[in-house]
Amino acid sequence: MEIRKFTLSIIVMNKFGVLHRISGLFSKRGYNIDSLTVNVMPEDERMSRIIMTSSGDDATREQIIKQLEKLHDVKEVKLI
Amino acid sequence: MLDASSKNQNQHETMSGAAILIETLINHGVDEVFGFPGGAVLNIYDELYKHRGKIRHYITCHEQGAAHAADGYARATGRPGVVIATSGPGATNLVTGIATAYLDSSPVIAITGNVALPLIGKDSFQEVDIAGITMPITKHNYIVKDINELEDIICEAFQIAQSGRPGPVLIDIPKDIQIQKAAFKGGKARPLFPLPPINQSSIEEAAKLINESKKPYIYAGGGIISSRAAAELMAFADKIDAPIGSSMMGLSAVPYTSERRLGMTGMHGTYASSMLGAESDLIIGIGVRFSDRATGDKSKYQENTKILHIDIDHSEIDKNIKSYTSVIGDIKEILPRLTEMVDQRTFKKWKDVAAEYKKIGKECSRGLNEDGLHPKNIIKTVRQYANDDTVVATDVGQHQMWTAQYYEFTKPRTFLTSGGLGTMGFGMGAAIGGAVGGKKRSILFTGDGSFHMNMNELATAVMHRLPVVVIIMDNRVLGMVRQWQKLFYEEHYSNTTMDRVTDYVKVAEGFGAAGCKAETMQELETALEKAFATDGPYVIDCIIDKDERVLPMIPPNGSIDNIITN
Repeated sequence: MEIRKFTLSIIVMNKFGVLHRISGLFSKRGYNIDSLTVNVMPEDERMSRIIMTSSGDDATREQIIKQLEKLHDVKEVKLI
Repeated sequence: MLDASSKNQNQHETMSGAAILIETLINHGVDEVFGFPGGAVLNIYDELYKHRGKIRHYITCHEQGAAHAADGYARATGRPGVVIATSGPGATNLVTGIATAYLDSSPVIAITGNVALPLIGKDSFQEVDIAGITMPITKHNYIVKDINELEDIICEAFQIAQSGRPGPVLIDIPKDIQIQKAAFKGGKARPLFPLPPINQSSIEEAAKLINESKKPYIYAGGGIISSRAAAELMAFADKIDAPIGSSMMGLSAVPYTSERRLGMTGMHGTYASSMLGAESDLIIGIGVRFSDRATGDKSKYQENTKILHIDIDHSEIDKNIKSYTSVIGDIKEILPRLTEMVDQRTFKKWKDVAAEYKKIGKECSRGLNEDGLHPKNIIKTVRQYANDDTVVATDVGQHQMWTAQYYEFTKPRTFLTSGGLGTMGFGMGAAIGGAVGGKKRSILFTGDGSFHMNMNELATAVMHRLPVVVIIMDNRVLGMVRQWQKLFYEEHYSNTTMDRVTDYVKVAEGFGAAGCKAETMQELETALEKAFATDGPYVIDCIIDKDERVLPMIPPNGSIDNIITN
């Protein structure tokens, strides 16, 4: 399967350790993080938007999205 | 003048964090907890003392035992199991127990104390970042940093642990939060989180696939038990006339008396389950994750068959094995809808094939000493003393596989075993949790290797007068590792020949329990008579052959072509 780069927009609750949860999920499951930025959402400071680029085949990309969606503090995951 | 919200607040009683915790547990129906006290949970234990008429605490010898007991309690009852431990080593001692619960989707609530907030991050005495440590092995976890959030966090933890696919949740409560006071809003249990609606077209597609199949095969797992869908599974299987192979976690969902039952699938699965799986044209995986131990070589596994995957956890779909189609949602709701939509079938030929393979399976894989104190005979004899509701726990290794192969399970939630993590030392705690949750005698099948890991919990069973019958399959070696060394490592028995001189009868007596040794079937029967009449734990040391193997066996990453039957 072809390895491709992709970018995810992840909206999370600004709770304790949320970045640790996301990065921990990637290392635990052996996914790559190529780049990552986090910004508090101006419209609602209780939340942050994480923009992350990663790489993998189609199956890996689908798994990453599904695993992220399972985290309690993750509210939305979008492929952009 | 009071505004509405502060007036409302004043109506609530003010309580310490520790009191809020215990009251909230009680209001969630928790009347039994496991744990071990310490400096950072003294306030919680003080509240347990004050609430001792409403909530009973079972102290173990080691926090790991308490975690396994809470897990065993959850598996046996279907209700969350609660474990309490102090900060630092108390908390880290829970880790194996939490990971065990996580891998087997067991709803455990772990509560740890921590040092006071101003001391966190200072490498204080008995300080550890347990939330950081347990992030990868919990569904979710918390550090409570504001007393006003404590009650909501506890209520939410119960929701998370039980909603969708169950799993463990940890709440770390610093000591000052336990002492501080806040308004208590009643700590009532909240409804579980709703699941997304089941996609109707996915059910229609699944029904179409099933109707096209001529050799359907059901592979049923622990999800059947979590969803309480054993009856729905049987109704579905009856309508499509399919045999049922089980993952180890799903074994107790299919009664041994059922004609459809093939027994366990996978590495040490029955001959019939492996052969039928390989020859089927459609594998219907229900509440399973297609683990490597179950599938072996994945490319071979699905060479001639389509996969229909039904699960509550959408991330399981296409994780380990690519499905042809899938249905996501609660099995208990999906199966009746699917059953209604599929055609009533009868597959005479497919049934004959199943019967034939079952017959061959019985004849092959004979043990070394099948007339004497052989694991199969031990397990079948113990079964005669138990009843259908008896909870059976195991440790990990050969004895675990033999129990999975030979014990005749009838009812869901009667088999407590570490399927995913494979935790040696799980059994003693789990059997205690099973006896507490089931409020009756439980059985532990263990090996001499596993028993040495957490045998200290025998003292716990004695202390709380819990009737746990401990059957040690004593071969003086680490049998499963030895089996691999024999088959794949040129009989280099590296560090598996223990030949420990432990006297298990004296061990039992030393802890205040009773026990005896059995070298023949007759001695076993005599021992079981005593064991099942004893008010407390009873240990039976069964001497078995060290070269006895678990068969059949499909080598790791192998397929049916590589099956070893003798």
